[in-house]
Parts: sequence; C-alpha cells; structure tokens
Amino acid sequence: MITKTREYSKYSSDLQVTPIKRIGQYWNRPNHSAYLFLLPTLIILVGFVFIPLIGTFALGFFNINIFFTNTTFVGLKNFIHFFSDERAINSLVHTLYFTILETPIQVFIGLVFAVILAKNTTFNKFCRSIFFIPVVCSLTSIGIIWSMLLDPNIGSVPYFISKLDLPIPKFFHDPALAMPTVAVLTVWKNFGVTMMILLAGIQGISLSLYESAKMDGATKIQQFFYITIPQLTPSLGFCVLTNFIGSMQVFDQVYVTTGGGPQFKTETAVQYIYQRGFSPPFELGYSSAVSTILFIIIAVLAVSINFYINRKESQML
Amino acid sequence: MRKQTIGNIGYQVIMILIVILIMFPFFWLLISSLKFEKDIISFPPKIFSNQYTFENYIHVWSTIPLLDYIRNTVIFAGGVVITSVFFDSLAGYAFARMNFKGRTLLFYMILLTMMIPFQVFMIPLFIEVNKLSMLDTYWGLIIPRMTSPFGIFLMRSFFISLPRDLEEAARVDGLNEFKIFLKIMLPLCKPAMLTLGIFTLMNNWNDLLYPLLLTSTAEMRTLPAGLALLAGQNISFYGPVMAGSVISLLPLLIIYIFAQKYFVQGMAMSGLKE
Repeated sequence: MITKTREYSKYSSDLQVTPIKRIGQYWNRPNHSAYLFLLPTLIILVGFVFIPLIGTFALGFFNINIFFTNTTFVGLKNFIHFFSDERAINSLVHTLYFTILETPIQVFIGLVFAVILAKNTTFNKFCRSIFFIPVVCSLTSIGIIWSMLLDPNIGSVPYFISKLDLPIPKFFHDPALAMPTVAVLTVWKNFGVTMMILLAGIQGISLSLYESAKMDGATKIQQFFYITIPQLTPSLGFCVLTNFIGSMQVFDQVYVTTGGGPQFKTETAVQYIYQRGFSPPFELGYSSAVSTILFIIIAVLAVSINFYINRKESQML
Repeated sequence: MRKQTIGNIGYQVIMILIVILIMFPFFWLLISSLKFEKDIISFPPKIFSNQYTFENYIHVWSTIPLLDYIRNTVIFAGGVVITSVFFDSLAGYAFARMNFKGRTLLFYMILLTMMIPFQVFMIPLFIEVNKLSMLDTYWGLIIPRMTSPFGIFLMRSFFISLPRDLEEAARVDGLNEFKIFLKIMLPLCKPAMLTLGIFTLMNNWNDLLYPLLLTSTAEMRTLPAGLALLAGQNISFYGPVMAGSVISLLPLLIIYIFAQKYFVQGMAMSGLKE
C-alpha cells in the first residue's frame, strides 16, 4: 500500500527531473500519446491511400505513360477523349449490366436462405456452414473450376445438358450469355455472406412481434411481409449498398474466366483501366481519367441508393 | 403430424440437393486433379475415372513455380496480417479510449476511406511503389496494406466496450500508456484480433488484382496471380493447374473448419469487399 502511494505521487508531480524524462512524461499523457498510437496508421493511410487518391484526380490531366517519357499536361483532353472512346463507355455499360444482374439476385437468394435457415437446428447450421465455403475460396480458383466445368468441349455441365437433348449453351464463349454466366458464378460464390448478414438481422427481430401477429391471426406469409421485411430493412439496405459497391469493381472473375471476351462483351471498367494502363499502350494518364469517372459514378449512385434506403427506413419504422 | 414430417423430409431433401450443388465443383476439382491429363480432357467427360494418380501433385512443382507462389503468398498475407492487426489495434485503441484534439474529424476521415475502392487509386499507388523502388518486393506488397480502415473500425468497437476503470487502475500502478495497451488491454481483445486477423488473411490470400499490379516477375507472384496468369494463357496442362488450385484452397479451408465463427463475424461486419 505504501509503495503504491509513493509511486503515484512520483507519477503526478515530478517536475524537477531531467529533460528526457520530461519528454517521456509529456508523451505519456493519454491525450498526447494518442498521436503516437495513431502515427503508424496515419503515415500508411496518407502515404498509400490519400496521396494516391489525389494522384488519380491529378494524373487524369496529364499525358503520362508507364516509362515516364514525354509527360505533358493536357488539361481536359483525357476526359473529352473518354466520351468518344467506345470501348471505355462499353466497359462501364458492362459493369452496370453485371451489377444490375448480380446485386438483386444475390440479395434475393441470400434472403431466401436466411429465412429458411433462420432456426438454429443442427441441420440448418450444417447447411449454413456449407453455403459459406465458396466465400472463403479465391475467385481465381473458383473461376478456374467453373471455366472448366462449363467448357463446351470438355465440361461436364454442357455434356449433361446435351444428354437432355437440349441445345448446348456456350456459356463463357457466347457473347450474349457470358456476362450472365459470370454474374451467376459470382452469386454462387458470394450469397453466403448476404445470407449470414440477413440471418443475424432476422435473429435480432423480437419474437414478441411474431407472437402478437399470430394472436391476430396473421399467416406465415403475412408475417414475412409485415414483420420480417420492414424489420430487416437496415440489413437489406446494407447488403444492397455493399454489394453494389463491390459489383462495380468486378475484376477477378472476369479476368480468369473470359478475359473480357468474347468480343469485349464482358470487359469491365476496372479491367479496361488495368488493360489500358498496364499493357500497351501503357497510358496511365488516360487510365486515371477513366478511374476518376468510375469513382464519380460509384459515388453518385452509392449516395443515391443510401438516400433511398434511409427514406424507406424512416417510412417503415 | 404426418403431413408435417413429410414436409420436413421434403425440405431436408431440397437442402441436401443445394448442399451438393455447392460442394460438387470442389469435389469435382479434387477428383479431376487426381486424374491423368488424357482423362481430364476426354470426351464425353466422366466425373469418375478408371485410374487415379498423384502425378499432377508431383509434376506441379516443376511445371509451374508453385513453391515460389506459396512462399510469396505466405510472406505477403502473413506479413500483412501481423502488421495490420497490430497497427489497427493501436489506432482503434486510441480512438476508443483516449481523448485528443481532432479525434472525431480523424475518425470520420478514416471511415470515409473505407468506402473508397482500391481500384480507383491503383495507378498512382503503382507509380508510388515504383518510385520507392519497392516494385516486385515483399515490402512493396506489405507496406501499403499495413493498416486498414475496416480494421481500425472493428478494433475500436471492441475496445470501446471494455470497462472504464481498467486503465485508471493500471495508471495508478505506474504503467505507461503503451504498456497499459500491450499488457492489459490487448490480451482482452483476442477474439477481435482473431476476427480481424482471419478476415485480413482471407482477403490477402485470395487477392488477385493487387499482387498482379505490384509484382512483375514470375518469382514474385502470389498463388491467385500466378494461377490466374496460367489459366489465362490457354493452358495446355489442366492437371497441374488443378492441383495448384487445390493446394491454394486448402489452407483457408482447413482454418475455416476450426474457426468458422471468426470468418463469418469478419465478413458480416464488413459486407462484401470483392
């Protein structure tokens, strides 16, 4: 007890100590040492997120290639060029197409399984664990697996379809079917996440709501539409928003399965940015301009979706 | 009563069919990786073969630089996990339990960066890493990922829930702030650190675009980047690529079996990143 009091007085009042100790004491106050705690994080974030982000906006105004020869300021030329660059605009259209296909299907399937598997039985827990397995795997491996399974020459799936006397779809090699196939593949990989998020939401809904609805004679379907869905709006909104932002950055699965083909029909925005910047003609400036445009589109749409969700939420609660 | 049992069996049968739909591609990959090349590309395709071999798993090491890929992935993902969990804990702790000027503003700024996709600023990042002559090095891969806004956010929410008097008692005992963090607070946050660690491991182990961008030689490729490039080259050797895929999937799947809870927690808190 005595030693403790002595130490405490030392901590609080020593001012006659050496300068080094005084610096130590200065930085040991919680409101000062917080900056030391944050220092590594801030250096990394400023250096490798903030500066590159500003860099993206700035580089769009330059003609700059990967070898840094002939770097010149070109003003708005890159942005003007974008509007006459059919391949760039198409890549954005494909990205939007993928997002419109992928996001609703994934949220819908995630919701269906979250509702079906809501009860914590052993069987349901087993199913959930299995449904989450593709989430853990890399899109690269999954893309490799599916591009072989769906290959028109050696794949098992087309062979199975041909056995049913149906025309054999070419999946990744059919310009009209390639993007929907990539979208379905993505849903297959990722619906487990949506399911788990919505499951947590459903299990958080108070049981008394369902009980009083049952007393009023509401059917299971009525309960679903009048209790589950409104109560789940925040979780659903979160899923839609994160899924949307994720889908707009689609790259891995396309890169592995179709490489942007056939006839550039599956080339997405990120892939175009990558191609344009890191393979001939190595135009980093123009790629940055396209990145800026992609960023603006994502930001505007994400903010609108968020605004819409918030309005729905306030209407429902 | 009887009707209910029939309904229940029907439900279980449907769910089992879906489970098979999810598991079949993995099962098929495993079986095919044990086939001879001629059986893999035979038509009509057969799921099961008459003969099996470990040939692909023996040849994969010489046909593709798989050992390099594995080493690079372990160093890259492992390095990122260790540094990121530590730095994120430090920052999350400061935001949760210390009062300082600019706390709210800084925290909002970090939350904002959580929303910005890496793909948007990858070109300047590439230029920066190149100018620092860290392209194609482990440091170049690890340093930009040493901290993540999501990690800070996650650690903060755990630290904030700890009782207040904890550090007061330690201060009275004469511990300095860093020791309070390291010796008292951090051990209490093991579940949070595990969640973040597994989440970070999964993201970096599976990441394709980032390592593809920051490495250029075959010796520095990670598993996804290496396998994706091989798959894109109109492969003439399916067997080794399949064996390589199995090897790249195994570590995470094994961890998943034992630590499923942490995988789900991390993903549920972050939503989708891909």
